[in-house]
Amino acid sequence: MTEPSRSDDGGAGSGGDPEPVTDGGSAAVDGRVSDLTAFLRERPRLRTLSIAGPPYGILVFFFAIPLLAMLVVSFQADQIGGAWTLGNYVDFLTSDTYLTVVWRTFLISVQVTAIVAAVGYALAYSIVRFSRRTTLLLLLVILPFWTSYIIRMYAWINILQSDGVLDSILNLVGLPAVGLLYTKTAVLIGFTYVWLPLAVLPFYASLTNLDGDLIEASKDLGAGPIRTFLSVTLPMTINGVITGIVLVFIPTFGSFITPRLLGGTNNVMIGMVIENQFKSAFNWPFGAAIGMVISVVVVALLLLATRFGGGLFGAGGETS
Amino acid sequence: MSVIDRVTAPFERFTQTHASRMATAVIVGVLAFLWLPIGVLVFMSFADGGVLSFPPDELTLRWYRVFLANDAALDAIVTTLTISVPATGITVTLATMIAYAVDRYVFPGRSWLQLLATLPIIVPLVVTGVAMVLFFNGTLGLPDYVSVVIAHVIRTIPFATLVILPTFMSFDRGLEEASKDLGADEFETFRQVTLPNVFPGVVAGGLLAFTLSFNEFVYTYFVKGSGDPTLPVYIWNQIRYNVTPEVNVISVVFLAVAVTMVLAAVSLTRVELIARR
Repeated sequence: MTEPSRSDDGGAGSGGDPEPVTDGGSAAVDGRVSDLTAFLRERPRLRTLSIAGPPYGILVFFFAIPLLAMLVVSFQADQIGGAWTLGNYVDFLTSDTYLTVVWRTFLISVQVTAIVAAVGYALAYSIVRFSRRTTLLLLLVILPFWTSYIIRMYAWINILQSDGVLDSILNLVGLPAVGLLYTKTAVLIGFTYVWLPLAVLPFYASLTNLDGDLIEASKDLGAGPIRTFLSVTLPMTINGVITGIVLVFIPTFGSFITPRLLGGTNNVMIGMVIENQFKSAFNWPFGAAIGMVISVVVVALLLLATRFGGGLFGAGGETS
Repeated sequence: MSVIDRVTAPFERFTQTHASRMATAVIVGVLAFLWLPIGVLVFMSFADGGVLSFPPDELTLRWYRVFLANDAALDAIVTTLTISVPATGITVTLATMIAYAVDRYVFPGRSWLQLLATLPIIVPLVVTGVAMVLFFNGTLGLPDYVSVVIAHVIRTIPFATLVILPTFMSFDRGLEEASKDLGADEFETFRQVTLPNVFPGVVAGGLLAFTLSFNEFVYTYFVKGSGDPTLPVYIWNQIRYNVTPEVNVISVVFLAVAVTMVLAAVSLTRVELIARR
């Protein structure tokens, strides 16, 4: 543990008082700390290691290595430490049921991404170009995102179920009930609802960075708003668009909560199959193999996105 | 004028004339879409008839009383806090170290550190959740509590780092030079100059890490065994097996936590930083 980090904690607890505390105990500590700082000043490598090392080590050991462990286990039969086998992958890739699920998951992810990108971009554009209260609007857009995912799905169960809120409203205005819960439409609505705030942010960031003079220039040269949008605004903000697409597609592809709660038995997605392996079938290696299949799709998409200019680091604003 | 221009001309004119009105319609429409479901939850938490009735017959605080008398739900809140509070402390410490190292030092593996601190956002939660249960429970045999706290730390580090790193980067390092010129050593300078300046960003990062940890479901669901559920896991079981009107009240609890934390974080830093996720 290093001194600067320890002082972070102390500062966070004590309210960041800039005045030094001057009782006897802390003077002794300060003395030792000064010795240590002097010691580290002479050894810049050790100093860097003492600050970057602990978070580095924790991320490698508790994040990267588990992912590698998953790769290893996916080649074992039946349980962790079982005989080496390709069987999990063979079983998965030769099963029509599972391949249907993967294809359905892919289609739903594409549809969700398209809907969210269109609506999210329209919203970000409207906020950036036509609104003066951008901070307030942005806050209103992101706040729902910070509440529980499950609670947000639960809200839609209430709205979409037969005789739920939506049906009651339709009844009031004399329309027939629709009972959308456990349909694909419900799944699309649920995903759109949770990812919309997420996608608006990179769109917003890239639109804010766009030089407004370019739009004026395009209009001065006789282009209408649609032409200007297609030939100036959209190409100039394409990095933000790609980042938004990646941020929506990947979590949709791996999701199990939304299809489980809103989709019923006709809309099984790949994430639900993994959940099953760990929560009821207890075939961990097979679950690990499916996890690897999802990872391959994710990596392929990231490579594609990086090729077309989306920022891998741009999990948000860094899209200029 | 090309053929295409002639076809699109009416649309161009329409957009030109109504642009501002269309923008307002989009903003109002999307905000309604985002907030009406939340409004429905709050409204239904006061509904006498319970989950299924809308509009409700009568408004009541009955379900709030039921919630406050329900030990299982309250225990779940306590369980969540015993995980989220230490996880937040660890995350803030680590994220500050990452921000400090990335901002100050050039070292081999610096971009790898940044990548590693970002990747947990990108890798699907279910994949990391599976990987963690295999490694923590299967290989290492860690106790449930330790596994869950570590999982929460991994989950929250990227978000805390995204908020804390920019505050370090925008901090004027001339102040530190001045402090050192006046005879303070690195540690004194950090405590008396650097920390007070980056403090709002660090606290904002902590508030968001806490919010995220309080809501955390997927990692917890995979990593945690059958022991005491956290509040999100408790809610999940309720929704899947026996929905009671109490769930509406718990929704309001989640909502209150999120709104309080995010508003506090926003007041400490720029909304654009919170907006990254």
